[in-house]
Amino acid sequence: MFNRLIFAAAVLASFPVAVHAQAPVTLTFANWADAEAATRPGIQAAIHEFERIHPNIKIESQAISVSEIARQLVLRVRSGNPPDMAELQGNDTILLALTGKLEPLDPYLGAGGTSVFTPQALNGLVRDGKLIALPWTVSPVALWYNKDIMKKAGLDPNHPPATLDELMADLAAIKKAVPDVAGIGIDTTNRVFSMTANWPWMQTFGADPIADDGKGAVSPAMTAYLSWMRSLAQNGYLQPGQKMGDFRPLAAQNKIAFTYDAVLLKGVIQSLNHISDAELDAHWGVTPLPAGPTGKSFTFDSGHNLGIFSGSQHKKEAWEFISFLATSPWGIENYTMKYETSLSPLKKAPSEALEKSLDTPLLQAFITKVMPTLSGAPFGAKFAPASTAVMAGVQQAVTGTMPIADIEKSIQQNMDKD
Amino acid sequence: MPALGVLALVVGYPVLYTAYLSTQRMNLLDTDPSRYIGTRNYVRLFGDPVFWSSLENTAIYTFGSVIVAALFGLSLALLTENLLGWRFRSIRALLLVPWAVPFVVVAFLFRFMFLQDGGVINAVLLRLGAISSPVLWLNDANLALPSTMLTNIWTMTPFFFLLLSAALSSIPIEVIESARIDRAPTWSMVFHIKLPFLRNELLISGLLMVISNVNDFAKIWAMTEGGPGYATTTLVVYVYRLAFGDFNFGYASAIGVVWLVLLLVFASLYLRAIRTA
Repeated sequence: MFNRLIFAAAVLASFPVAVHAQAPVTLTFANWADAEAATRPGIQAAIHEFERIHPNIKIESQAISVSEIARQLVLRVRSGNPPDMAELQGNDTILLALTGKLEPLDPYLGAGGTSVFTPQALNGLVRDGKLIALPWTVSPVALWYNKDIMKKAGLDPNHPPATLDELMADLAAIKKAVPDVAGIGIDTTNRVFSMTANWPWMQTFGADPIADDGKGAVSPAMTAYLSWMRSLAQNGYLQPGQKMGDFRPLAAQNKIAFTYDAVLLKGVIQSLNHISDAELDAHWGVTPLPAGPTGKSFTFDSGHNLGIFSGSQHKKEAWEFISFLATSPWGIENYTMKYETSLSPLKKAPSEALEKSLDTPLLQAFITKVMPTLSGAPFGAKFAPASTAVMAGVQQAVTGTMPIADIEKSIQQNMDKD
Repeated sequence: MPALGVLALVVGYPVLYTAYLSTQRMNLLDTDPSRYIGTRNYVRLFGDPVFWSSLENTAIYTFGSVIVAALFGLSLALLTENLLGWRFRSIRALLLVPWAVPFVVVAFLFRFMFLQDGGVINAVLLRLGAISSPVLWLNDANLALPSTMLTNIWTMTPFFFLLLSAALSSIPIEVIESARIDRAPTWSMVFHIKLPFLRNELLISGLLMVISNVNDFAKIWAMTEGGPGYATTTLVVYVYRLAFGDFNFGYASAIGVVWLVLLLVFASLYLRAIRTA
């Protein structure tokens, strides 16, 4: 009788474990990859592949637009209802980290720790010694130049502008010779992303509008930057109020001479025009941002990161999923490169085939010339409110006639009130 | 009593909670809990130039749109009041279409029409020779607000047209007939007979549209997001940026309270004016 009781107890005790081992785990994944037509098939394929390899883990994708995701995630974190994982980007990653609800990922990394990633991929993701999000796609932004348009304007397509003076001279020549094409594409909308995108332009003038001394917006460097932006608009080189993505159709139609965009423009042009790498290289080139008064080129990474929320009940499984997306050969080949047209965050490509696929002049220009100019914007709690003030000032410079000095004062005043 | 309870819950609670938040330093990004700061958000508000320019833009957008739309609606109602037959009824039905289109759709429609390159408005004006180069309708600090107002007027005019058409048809026929017998000229008929009959409808619909326009977010956000600069930033856009861009709920709530008080004061003065008249 006693033995039977022990046997029954043992069976009962093992039961929940058995159930646990077999019960599928469902992870929620908030992302915008599933909200955009271009990347939806890719992320869905990646989820299916992961679920095939891990039959006990189900991924519930929550599609949220890129412009909404930070807002929704902060509100969900504050109301105690965050997803297990999320796709993040730029300042949004830091905002979420500031809530204290992003799980530090160091304990999940293998023996190599963060050393397996390129320093550029980790830029800004290590805070207080902790990895707050896993770098997923690396997508530095460069100046794309249209070789055909440069030729039509009598310019040497093998000599893209290296300084702002050269850029202005090239734009003037293009405006004169090919007046029906747009000059340069720079994002001048009022968004945190556009502030991030404009930060390298400000940096090359030596401007730091949100400097701690409280005088960043009213400075000779800021005057020079805003005056330059105004001259772009007044000369008809820049279409104000456009997003970075708004210039992509123009690029695909060879109707813009220069555009400041990420690696993914390669995929956009190729998919719309059905052209090979060699054909793309014949028409387009990339070069680091032309240097301004500081003599230095800067850029930023528009790539995406993956975070796990500390409230998740299945962090180990969540880690399995995000590391599959970011570092597995399947994820890099079939999502990062194919759908995001971005670079892997890993120092070494996980396969020879992937290494070989990077061997095009355009991608090599990104890797060898543009990546070294990556610099980080001062992301943090004050970056978002400052973006509103600074980008409103940039818009005033490129669309109005208000004196630059007044615009600078207005920017500073609107930042100081916070 | 149950109705009062529901009202207290649905209307009273959000208003009171907003008033409470307006006295707090509350930012969703702060790991520290919110704390009481008294009237500091209100003091800050009075020194905030964006708040004042938003208030000015709200007033221009609201009253400009409502007055022009009311005039257009009235003119259309007067022009079409005597049209009979199915053809004319169809025309009147067509005039109501803009009101039936969702505001966000209208906003995107006009945004594309106002495009610098490829927009139909610039294309037509260029073809007619009215302009020599494309106009930056939504990206010029001086043109952005009038352009959004034009869109707003297009959507609102049918509302006034519908309401005033109905009011015109309810004017006693004897009054109109006796004016005709007295050979009253058209302008006199409009100003001395029809308009006095339409006064109440105009005032009530005007009040409704003023409140609706002060709170209009969709059209402005979809067309300009409050830009360029702060050229089209109205109170509702500013509050949205503060609350859901900067996560500064305390300050956003203070503006919300001031905005509510201003609307209540305006509505009570307006209603008193109607009663007095």
